[in-house]
Amino acid sequence: MKKSTFSLFALILFLFPVFMLVLQSVSETWRFQSGEGIQFQLDSFDVLLSDPNLWEATGWSFLIGTVVLLINLVIGLGTGKALTLYSFRGKSLVEAILLAPILIPVLAIAMGLHLFMIRVGLADTWLGVVLIHLVPTVPYSIKIFHNAYRQLGVSMMEQPLTLGSSPLYQLFTIELPLMKPAIRSVTFLTIVISLSQYAITAIIGGGNVITLPMIFFPFLDTANAAIMAAFSIWFSFLPFGMYVLVEGALLLLPYSKKPWRISQ
Amino acid sequence: MKKWISLSIFLAALLLTACSNSETGQEFTNITNQDWEEIEASAEGSTVRLFMWGGDEGINQYIDEWVTPQLEDTYGVSLERVPMDTGEILQKLQTEKQAGKQDGTIDIVWINAENFKNAKENDLLAGSFVDVLPNFNEYYDTEDPAFQTDFGTAVEGMEAPWGKVQFVFHYDSEKIETPPASFEELKTWVEENPGRFTYPNAEDFTGNAFLRHVLYANAEQPSDIYEQPLDEEQISEAAEGTWTYLNDIKPNLWRSGSHYPNSLTELDRLYSQGEVWMTMGYNEARAESLIEEGVFPESTESFVMEPGSIGNTHFLSIPFNSTNPEGALAAINFMLSPEAQLEKLKPDYWGENTPISIDRLPEEMKQKFQSVDRGESVLSQSELEESFLPESEAAYVEWMEEQWFNEVVQQ
Repeated sequence: MKKSTFSLFALILFLFPVFMLVLQSVSETWRFQSGEGIQFQLDSFDVLLSDPNLWEATGWSFLIGTVVLLINLVIGLGTGKALTLYSFRGKSLVEAILLAPILIPVLAIAMGLHLFMIRVGLADTWLGVVLIHLVPTVPYSIKIFHNAYRQLGVSMMEQPLTLGSSPLYQLFTIELPLMKPAIRSVTFLTIVISLSQYAITAIIGGGNVITLPMIFFPFLDTANAAIMAAFSIWFSFLPFGMYVLVEGALLLLPYSKKPWRISQ
Repeated sequence: MKKWISLSIFLAALLLTACSNSETGQEFTNITNQDWEEIEASAEGSTVRLFMWGGDEGINQYIDEWVTPQLEDTYGVSLERVPMDTGEILQKLQTEKQAGKQDGTIDIVWINAENFKNAKENDLLAGSFVDVLPNFNEYYDTEDPAFQTDFGTAVEGMEAPWGKVQFVFHYDSEKIETPPASFEELKTWVEENPGRFTYPNAEDFTGNAFLRHVLYANAEQPSDIYEQPLDEEQISEAAEGTWTYLNDIKPNLWRSGSHYPNSLTELDRLYSQGEVWMTMGYNEARAESLIEEGVFPESTESFVMEPGSIGNTHFLSIPFNSTNPEGALAAINFMLSPEAQLEKLKPDYWGENTPISIDRLPEEMKQKFQSVDRGESVLSQSELEESFLPESEAAYVEWMEEQWFNEVVQQ
């Protein structure tokens, strides 16, 4: 595709909707049929910032999202590698079971898990929320890393082994640098899924853990589009910020192109 | 291996202890049997967690900016508002009940209608408590049928009336001079103004209420519906009339009736953009804040039609595993007080009607209530009272959902 075509599509499909969202958040209800123009206001952000739970909820969402992401990376890398390296009887069955949680609606298992968490004392705690957020995210991570390792090829992993590298050294110098695209996909997917869980967070967190969607989702019932738009913009800062953090962490990997070094 | 054995013993022990509690009812009666002073004394200094739907900034601010500080001052009780949908609250309680969890996180829930019915049937509520609330006994008509049954379910003192709302229609007075006064006139209006009216579909709370109004209008008299438990044969004539009416107006609805808004929010947006010229909803004063925010046009006014408009009451209740029932009682008593109800009635925050009996208030308070200006878009108290119709049983809601789809959408 030509670069200009790409820019055009990016403009229509991405920048334009974002621009409309920002515009909506700072303007009053649009009544174009009646010939009124746009009137600007900032009340919607006042409402947003006056919510006493806003900052706390943002903090919880960030903490939970980060922990969920880290656990996802560990489980995804380990399982993905194991599924690529070893072949055993019933392997396809194991793969199917690992994918099962995204085929069954989380709400259907939330009640059973809630019962279990009450009994082990994890209900109404943020650790319980982290655990329940693993259910809809881990299957994706495993799938993505499984594919990434397969593309890397078994020989690529045998080579460092014959040269006497330890598994951890191998992970940081060979596997992670080569699997950056997979890490990016997992990061984005995990954070966005974890951030948007309303029902299961409400039930397992029990109101002790207030995350962003718990403030945000009830406002879906409002006819005031400006407030909705303001919330959406606030909401989008979190995954964006966390994505930037992960990009920063990726730069620390060996053999990464450092932006501050002039490349030849 | 040893570790695993001890872990499973630990888990089994947890399971066993969890299943051995069942004296909630008795404990709660012991609490409500105390003198009010004792309850207040033990409530002081405690924290009460109020779980409620959080999608209206006016309601949220009323709780955060008025009730919470006032309650702290009067009773020394600190109130924490937790936003959660009632459906999720009930599911949480249900699971906790099953697990035998006695130390819940919820002290007060905001509830009515089908949710109350479910909660009551599944023993999710603490028990009867309204008799101990001084404010309820003093300022409310305790015998009022609106407090005795909630959508046909007997209340039995398990929830205290917090507010009441009535169904009204809204219109843009710049576009419509005289709004229709009956469903027949509405039909004529729709024919004359094709595409300018619609209603949310039957699965929506408001859409369903609109349809029940049509059913009321097609019965001999509305009491044939709201005084009767659902009996499809008995209401077959009214039902026939309802489907004919709805199918008659259908071709002239917004988008020729091929699509209905999925929720009241969608209808409100259509109205706010001028696509349709009428909207509707429970809470006769709800247009006020929307006008102030600039969402609804300033010329928005409201009207009710013959044979009347359905109203209902919403309540506060205490779940079975509240860890602070004394605090909950004190907080509910405060939220029912004339001061709190007066502030709720004012359009600054919420603007919602009060279930309090104005006649029972001291003279000074009475005047304050009567002098509240609820806003231009709100009908007068006498007009609302005259048109008031009670809700039918909850079973009608479900019946309407199914039948509307068969009789109207698929025609």
